[in-house]
Formats: sequence, C-alpha cells, structure tokens
Amino acid sequence: MKKTAIQKISDLAAELLEKGTLVAPIKEDAGFNFREISDAKQVDLNFYNTLMSPKSAFFPQTEDFVRYNKNKSVLEAQCVDMNLGPVFLFGVRPCDVKSFEIMDIHFSGTGAVDPYWKKRREATTIFGYAFDPNAPADGADFYSTLGIGAADPEGSDIFMIKKGDDLLFKAVTPKGENLLASLSSLADASKDEIKYFDETVVSGRSFKTRFTCVDTKVIAKKLEDIFHKTEFWDKVSEACLSCGVCTFVCPTCYCFDICDETLFSQGVRRRVWDACMFTDFTLEASGHNPRTKVYQRLRQKICHKYSFHIRKYGVISCVGCGRCTRNCPVNIDIFSIVDEALKE
Amino acid sequence: MSINFKKIEDSLKAEAKKLLEEGKVSIVLAYKKGYDDKHPMPYVARKISDVENIVFNEYCTANMARYLVRYPRGTKIAIAVKASDSRAVIQLIQEDKVKREDLIVLGIPVYGMKNFKTGKTIDSKTTCGIYNPVLYDVLLGEEVHGQPVVPPYGVLIEYEKIDKDARWAFWEKEFDRCIRCYACRKACPMCYCDPCFIDQNKPKWGEKSPESHGNLMYHLTRFHHLAGRCIDCGECSRACPVDIPLYLFHKKVAKECEEMFGQAAGMSIEDKPVLVNFRVDDSDKILE
Repeated sequence: MKKTAIQKISDLAAELLEKGTLVAPIKEDAGFNFREISDAKQVDLNFYNTLMSPKSAFFPQTEDFVRYNKNKSVLEAQCVDMNLGPVFLFGVRPCDVKSFEIMDIHFSGTGAVDPYWKKRREATTIFGYAFDPNAPADGADFYSTLGIGAADPEGSDIFMIKKGDDLLFKAVTPKGENLLASLSSLADASKDEIKYFDETVVSGRSFKTRFTCVDTKVIAKKLEDIFHKTEFWDKVSEACLSCGVCTFVCPTCYCFDICDETLFSQGVRRRVWDACMFTDFTLEASGHNPRTKVYQRLRQKICHKYSFHIRKYGVISCVGCGRCTRNCPVNIDIFSIVDEALKE
Repeated sequence: MSINFKKIEDSLKAEAKKLLEEGKVSIVLAYKKGYDDKHPMPYVARKISDVENIVFNEYCTANMARYLVRYPRGTKIAIAVKASDSRAVIQLIQEDKVKREDLIVLGIPVYGMKNFKTGKTIDSKTTCGIYNPVLYDVLLGEEVHGQPVVPPYGVLIEYEKIDKDARWAFWEKEFDRCIRCYACRKACPMCYCDPCFIDQNKPKWGEKSPESHGNLMYHLTRFHHLAGRCIDCGECSRACPVDIPLYLFHKKVAKECEEMFGQAAGMSIEDKPVLVNFRVDDSDKILE
C-alpha cells in the first residue's frame, strides 16, 4: 500500500501525465467534472461528487465514427482513429465505479461488442476514491439501498481512501499493482494506515445513505404489475418537464442516436447521447410516436432501470449516485418513485 | 416585514380546499414536499384529500404557469403564482393558450426565495425583481412594500459595456458548456411549441450534438423566439445544470423590445403580444 499527502497530489498527477492521459475532477463554474488534465495543478479532490458522471470517459456525449465529404465518393470516407494511449481515470466514487460494470453489460457483455467502449475500458486504469465515511451522505444519494458501500474497492484498479491530510492507495487488480509499483511520487504506507484502510472498507459497507429494502425480483415484478396503472404513473410524472437532465447526468443511461451531421460539404457520422425523456426519442419514420405522453416516458425510464433490466440481466441499472435527483429542475426523485411503487 | 411562509401555505391550502369543494376548479396547481423540505415539487391537487399535501416555502421556485398548457382547453384550473409567474399567466392569456375565465389565480406576494440546488437566496437581479403578483383573483398574504426596488435590466449595465467581439466570445464560452438537455426550454412557461424547432429533422435546423454551431443555433433561436414574450422568471437559468446565465440574453432582448414597443411582456391581459401587434407608431429602429 502507498500513500501521499493530498497537498502533493499534483506531483502524482504530473507523474501520471508523463505516462499517459489523465482524466480527473476539476472545479468548474457549475461544479466538479471529470476532464482531461493539461496542467497537473488542475486536479482537485475537494469534491463530493461530480456534476456529470464519469461515463463520458468511455462513452463521450459525441463520438465521431466516420468523416466524409458530401461531394466525394463514399470510398473516400475516413474512419476516425481513436489513437488511444494509456488513460488514468482518477477519483471515481465507488457507486460510479459500479456503473461501469453495469454499462459493460450493454457495450461488451451481450455478444455485440462496442469497440469504442471496449478499447477505452481496456486502455484505462481506474483510481476509485472512497466517500468520506465521516461526513454525511448528500440527501439525494441512495447507493447503500443498492448494496454499494461508501468505500468499496471492487471494480477499481487502484482504490484511494483519504486519511486526514493523506491519501492512501491500494492496488486492487494486477494492472493497478504494476502501475502503483512504478509511481515514484508515492511513499510506502505504515501498518496503521493499512489497518485504517481495511477498516474503512468494512465500515463503508454499513455507511447509510437513504435506504429502502429493494429486492430485485420483487421490484421488477411490482413495476411490471403496475405498468398499466396509468393513475400511478400520471401522479408520479405530473411535475416532470420531460427534459433530459436526469439521463445525461446518469452514469448508467446509455441510449444514443447515430447522426450524420454536415456543415457545408464536410460531414461526420457520429454517436450522440439521446434520452428517453425526449419526445422525438421514439418518433417513428411513419410519424407515429408510441410515447407521446410524459408519463409514458418517465415510466419507461423507471421501468427500464428497475424492471426490464433486472429481467434481462439480473441487475438494477442504477447505482444510487443521486445525480438525477440533485439536478432535476423540479426535484423529481427516482428513489421516492420506486419507494411509492413498492407501496402500490 | 418578513414573509410568513406558513401563513401563505395555510391560506393556499384553505383556498384550494374551498375551490375544490365548491367545484369551481378541477385542479389546483401548487407545490408539495419533495424528497425533503428543501426540495419541494410542483403538485397538482385534484381531490379535497390532496390539499393536505400542499406546501409553500422559500424553495417553491418552480413557475407553475409552465404546466397550464398541459391540460385540455376549458379545464378549470386554480394556479398558485408568484410575481413573475403571474406575468407568465398573463402572457399565456394574451397568446390565447389559456382563457382568463378558466383560471383562478392565487397570487403570492413574496421575496427572498431560495434556489433549492444551492440553498442560496436568488439574486433578484437574475429575475424580474418584482414582489407582488400582477394578476390575481385571491391574494394569499399581504402585498410587499418597502423592499429595495430592483430594476429589471440593471444587471445589463455591466454587460452592455462589453464590446461586440467580447460579447460574442462570452456567449461562445457559455454555450460551450451546454449539454443540450433542454431543461431551459422545458422549464420555460413560454416554450410550448410542439414540436420545438430544434426537434424537427425535416428540415433540420440545428445539429443534435452539443457543439458550438448547434448550440448557438438552439440558444439564439430560442432567445429570439422569446423576444417580447420572456417574463423574466429566471427558471431557465435555474434549471440549467451547467449554470449558463440565460437570463442575461433574455433580459437584453426584453429590454430592446420594451424600448422599441413600450411594452414589457405579461403586464396586462389587455395588451397584445408585441411581435403580433402592428401599430402605425411602431418603432422602425429594427430596420435602421
């Protein structure tokens, strides 16, 4: 196990920058976000959680596939090269690390492999970062409901826990171990620190955010049973504006649209995030739209995450990070909706 | 004088109960408790038993006028409005989206509202800065007097000092953050177009990806679609997850409209929307 003073985090950032691309939280006008770091001093670990989820490290909002010229032959179209070297994704909270595992199901786990996701995942070393177990959880969070601890190292390559003014590092995977051994800016941790680290991981499992008992099979069945109960969905969606904030900030929303975008003669075929909350998401070429009403769209979002996903893949497609609730312009809260559904 | 939120909440409940009991309205648009007290939500009370869920506190910032166009024409609606929300109601009446006779407006004079995302008091400079509803049938609480007068366009003084190039650079930088979640248009009471131009794909007016030219197309068009219609509630800016100061541009356009046509949006149900109304004495400044 290794350690460094949080004050000296820029030394580590500088070392990582020499080895490859560093993506880490930086403070921006509207909050913290994961960004590609150009100056080691930008890295700022003084955050609760980022505004946008770290999914964009593997699944950016816009991903260019092919560039073409409208006036030239299609044979002259060029595939966009990813040119990936090693990437270090630094400071990811345990619930967000969990989201990568869920997203892997869609992008590489079902037989159809998305090369963009897969290449980025393989190129990336994840530095997980425990929530501070001594500070209360944000009121919107509910990751403990979904069985995620405040300091779960699983899924990270290297896991970090803050101890006073120091940051402790423990390798979780062989990839993490190799990297950790090569970092000269880190010092060896003491016995006490190793003990603290292990204790925090354990105590993090009993750290409480908002909590309700969610049995995956029960909730999946329940939502299926009340799918046609329009009064319920009408009631829970009456405030919903049907904007896309919740899906865009969500670490496990993965819907996208493939667009050909052309400016003058220069075109690009790209993947762009889409959202089931948008009216045109389900608009068919015939002009028919099977989901014209707000309740139908919100119902789709909730049922996809908490019912269909369980049926198909056995797990809930939500990690309880609370971003959708925190950023909703009208305070719609997925946790309360699921809780109400269970009482129906 | 400070605002007695509890008293307003009680009168809002009493009025909602009375209106539903007497059958004068079929729905009451108000607020209810969200996942905690500091995060209330827009609420639709339909039954007398729903009334007890109604709350009103300093975090009830949502502009309920946004929901009016959701209900079939002729639905009898009671709506709780703060000052700028009442202007949205007026503007919607002017635009014939709702009928005055279908509405019972429950006016709430208030100041010192707080942004539930930050917990901070909303700067009056980012909203229309008035405290008393312009239109109401029932006033809940007492009219506010003696609060500092905030000129609606005061915040533009600094903005207008910036030269054209720097202003362009400013907006390019701001729009660069836009993630195209469309929370701004969805929170806006005046954005009711179906479909919105940006959702159309034949013709396609703007790109879907959140990049500079598509973002510019979306925001500049929306700003201009709201010319003379924006009632300055500031909901778009508060809804924005990346804090783009949309109110600045809306205020700038509103100011120019007011200077040219002598009329601010949503101040009287007798007015016609400025860009729909033709008067021989209209300003020709726009053509100069």
